[in-house]
Amino acid sequence: MAHIDIQNLSFTYPNADEKALSDICLSIGHGAFVTLMGATGSGKSTLLRLLKPELRQNGTLAGKIKYDGMDIENNGTRTVGYVAQNPEEQIVTDKVWHELAFTLENLGAKQRDIARRVAEIAAYFDMDAWLERDTATLSGGEKQLLNLAAVMTADPELLLLDEPTAQLDPIAASRFLSTVYRLNRETGVTVLICEHRSEELFALSDRVVVLDRGRLVYDGTPREVATSAATAVDAPDSPFMGFLPTAARIFHAVNGRGELPLTIREGQRFVENFDNTVRSLNDEAVIENREEALSLKNICFCYERNGADILRDLDMTVYRGEVFALLGANGAGKSTAAAVAAGLRKPYSGTMKLFKKPLKSYTNGSLYRGNISLMPQDVESVFIHETVGEELKYCEAVIDSFPYDLRPLYSRHPYDISGGERQLVALCKALSSKPGVLIMDEPSKGLDANAKALLRDIILKLKGDGVTVLLITHDVEFAALCADRCALFSQGRIAAVDTTQRFMSGNRFYTTAASRITRCRYDGAYTAERAAALIRRNGGAL
Amino acid sequence: MKCFEQLNPFAVAVYYLCVLGLIMFSMNPLLLAIALLTSVLSAVLTGTANGRAHLFSAIVFLVAAVLNPLFVHKGVTVLFYLNDRPFTLEAAVYGLSAACMLTAALYRLRELSRVLSSDKVLYLFGRFSPKLALLLSMTIRYVHLLRVRYRKIQDSQKALGLYDDGNLIDAVRGRARVLSILITWTLENGIVTAESMESRGWGTARRTSYAVYRVHAYDALFMFVCAALTALTAVGVYHSEVVFYPVLDMDLLSPWGIAGAGAFTLLSVLPLTINGTEAIRWRISISKI
Repeated sequence: MAHIDIQNLSFTYPNADEKALSDICLSIGHGAFVTLMGATGSGKSTLLRLLKPELRQNGTLAGKIKYDGMDIENNGTRTVGYVAQNPEEQIVTDKVWHELAFTLENLGAKQRDIARRVAEIAAYFDMDAWLERDTATLSGGEKQLLNLAAVMTADPELLLLDEPTAQLDPIAASRFLSTVYRLNRETGVTVLICEHRSEELFALSDRVVVLDRGRLVYDGTPREVATSAATAVDAPDSPFMGFLPTAARIFHAVNGRGELPLTIREGQRFVENFDNTVRSLNDEAVIENREEALSLKNICFCYERNGADILRDLDMTVYRGEVFALLGANGAGKSTAAAVAAGLRKPYSGTMKLFKKPLKSYTNGSLYRGNISLMPQDVESVFIHETVGEELKYCEAVIDSFPYDLRPLYSRHPYDISGGERQLVALCKALSSKPGVLIMDEPSKGLDANAKALLRDIILKLKGDGVTVLLITHDVEFAALCADRCALFSQGRIAAVDTTQRFMSGNRFYTTAASRITRCRYDGAYTAERAAALIRRNGGAL
Repeated sequence: MKCFEQLNPFAVAVYYLCVLGLIMFSMNPLLLAIALLTSVLSAVLTGTANGRAHLFSAIVFLVAAVLNPLFVHKGVTVLFYLNDRPFTLEAAVYGLSAACMLTAALYRLRELSRVLSSDKVLYLFGRFSPKLALLLSMTIRYVHLLRVRYRKIQDSQKALGLYDDGNLIDAVRGRARVLSILITWTLENGIVTAESMESRGWGTARRTSYAVYRVHAYDALFMFVCAALTALTAVGVYHSEVVFYPVLDMDLLSPWGIAGAGAFTLLSVLPLTINGTEAIRWRISISKI
């Protein structure tokens, strides 16, 4: 018997014209690992929430959802676990052990049963050493692992994960996904996960389901789905192309034949089929005599007088009109570097110059009028008003020249629009002071492939308008799409800085998937598009 | 190594209840002098108070000791006159005793807040109400979260050029705006927390409260010793009645008085004794290895 059997399911939110889900038929067996993909607003979260009666939202439902052959309404808390996107907000208590005990306390379990399960889970998730810690001191990745562990204490049969790694950096995300994979293999829990990280998930899952505007469009093994998505009639313009792993996109772009590659290794094998007489595109632009926009020299910073230095002799120069990406692991101090560069924190030594004038000489807030602007990581901290319209009117944002039409959102509350749209409204606000230098802290966090592509276009348009952009990010793929130069931040200073092409080709581990796939055959093919162009130049399809 | 700080929070709470109770409800100069000496000793040995804390206690002691004889003129033994008002021995002794009480209690309370950390307090409350314990735990978490968020909002508003603290009115307006964003943000995200609680079975059954602390035999023994010493002290205090006014009348060194003072001394240094014995046992066990 199938674990979950969804029959002709349709769902409509109150006051909505269109169905959020229409006529979904899906049957998932026990112990399956299913990835649910689709653009923002395609109904993934709605579907996931319908499988957990406590989280069901208001609306009209048609069709049936069976859980082990029974109606899902009769199913208790214990059997379905749910982890959402935001690591911080899902944590309820102040201590790690209390968080782990929380579910069992709610279910009224006995002391000794709780003690046993907490110990068991702590050992399995390797968190024994941090049981006594305050939850506030955990990193984002640790918080999300704790959320997963806390859900597992109830021993669920089905695990629903709603974009659990969207807020995490790539390393923490990999760790989280491999833990989910291990749980699936070792305990047989059925996993249904909504996620954009196709690079990893196409390799881990048994099955991929793609939704588009509430309809189920693809359903099959990862390879079947990738093949049919890549060979569909409208494939090059298809919104699903962005969701496929890099190897599959290269394959498609060069009209490859044979079996579709999904992983890095398969991609490498595929690329080996092609000639490599032309090793690189030789298109690197050389710009000389550039004018400095923002320069930091020997900057040292720490939060407490006797605390460890967060920035140690940081040297960084950003030139006028370029997009500069500062890459590095979470917690390395990138955001602190951004705050110092934006004049929000005072370094205890070193000099900073903005457009060749010392940062200190910009007095009375003139720094933030026309010179520098920071788009923060948590865009919620930007919004003041009830509607997007007021939000933009109040700060006299230049809406007409903004490359994306925000007008349809005017009557909505900033919290009610999608993550990508919220990012754009915040960006529009940050641009209202017409800054010469724009600092963006993790702008691509939580965005799907299409939203990232849109953000890339906007950043490139800003660059065209002469704005200097400093990008603080852990998203290597995104940096590869829009940066002119990249720097690797580590131990409070910049360990390496180079043009994006040389940076991505020179790095072996901290680089894009395309670069890893092609590094033995070509130079500077750090995006799927560049790799495809090189292959075509070498004669293309075999 | 098992030390006083690692005893069950319940035992620790009982200990401080006994010590503080005796300090605050017995106006016995001998007992209070012992209380002050032992609490200072304990603060120094455990590093509970730093230089500034000691200085603060000294000031409290002096002020309390001087204030009583300056304003109270009861008593028959006049030592000298100040502004034509008598400064009496009785009032001075009373003042000194009160100062000892206040300072000793302050030292002990400081120690209490060090030994009973927030999660131990939660455990104590959780014995009575699991819901109250959870509420406290969530509150502690939110205090930290709000502080971090306040800072973030202030930064992003400032960097957008919207936070002006050039003059007082603008600064106040800016603060108000930051608070308003903080509230909206927290309430909006509170939904996620609520859903997380609900999806983890909140309200489905009668809640239990899980604790990482157990009551062991030595916790029970410790509490028994505490109770016995407290009872002995109380009896001693009861039998050696102290009268301050109009004439000092106290028989501090009666058999009962001495027994009470002895018991109280033992009680006061009980944590130090436990930790000291453990340290010695540790040394011995190490030398055996």
